[in-house]
Amino acid sequence: MAASVALRLDSRMTGLASPVAFPDAVREHQDEVFGVALRITGDRDAALDVTSSTFLNAFRAFHRYDSSRPVRHWLLRIATNEAITYVRKRGRELRRTVEVEHAIALADANATPDAESVAREDRARIRAAVSQLPELYRVVIVLRYFNELSVDEIANVTGRPASTVGVQLLRGRALLRGALEGER
Amino acid sequence: MRSDRRDEELFDEIRLRRALRLDAAELPPRIDIAAIAARARDDRPAFAAASLVSTLVAGIAAAGLVSLIAIALPAVAPALASDLFASALETLARVAIPASAFLSLAEQPTVPVAALAALAVAIVHEYAQRREHAREVTS
Repeated sequence: MAASVALRLDSRMTGLASPVAFPDAVREHQDEVFGVALRITGDRDAALDVTSSTFLNAFRAFHRYDSSRPVRHWLLRIATNEAITYVRKRGRELRRTVEVEHAIALADANATPDAESVAREDRARIRAAVSQLPELYRVVIVLRYFNELSVDEIANVTGRPASTVGVQLLRGRALLRGALEGER
Repeated sequence: MRSDRRDEELFDEIRLRRALRLDAAELPPRIDIAAIAARARDDRPAFAAASLVSTLVAGIAAAGLVSLIAIALPAVAPALASDLFASALETLARVAIPASAFLSLAEQPTVPVAALAALAVAIVHEYAQRREHAREVTS
């Protein structure tokens, strides 16, 4: 019933010209949109809010979506912008630092010698380091290593020149390496 | 050395990908598309009201600007036009004074042309005289 309501609303809002139906786009990309929001904001509640507002904005603007371009990039662009706006507006940077320190402390406290917990701790450290990167580098690092986008695709999503994205990826990775080595 | 660095970068990339991947526990609840549609529908009246208000404000501002220009222009235009005319005249006078000397020279080209013509005639006549004198001597 809910799906049929959504489909009827979708066809009325978006028209039949678009080959991608909005519900299909949501189903296919919701985890990825949530993931990019989570890795950029570093906060699950914020990521849920960002995901929700991303799909709401996408729903409103779906009739303007250029169907010749991948819907994935379009959604990621909205999600990235929403996540950046969220981080800036709420001043989460400071609070997230505290949360990251808390996460590291938790990881250290639960550390056990088995390989699984070592890997978990390593992941927690890397995620913490990513969430502490300056926003400029964090966005490209997340799009590259979480969403697995190419440099050109990141340029398309962020609206930055491909050469700039390449440099920001290098710099972001160097900052990450520095941060991770500094912890040891 | 280069290969070590490449391996290190490759390792970094693999490590980063693994670390950033969503864990099963992190997966979000399924998005309710009907709820999104309903929220968009609920927000629409407020959206429409906001857009109506902004259109009204923009319209009033544009009308105010046009009327301000309509009132101010007749008062300012004569003074502005006379200033423009005066500055145009001044510029023209500045350019005309040095240009007039060149213009007066150009107006009287007959003096140097006549002198040159007389010189040419004299030279030709002299050559003709000399050639006749030489023929008389040799014959």
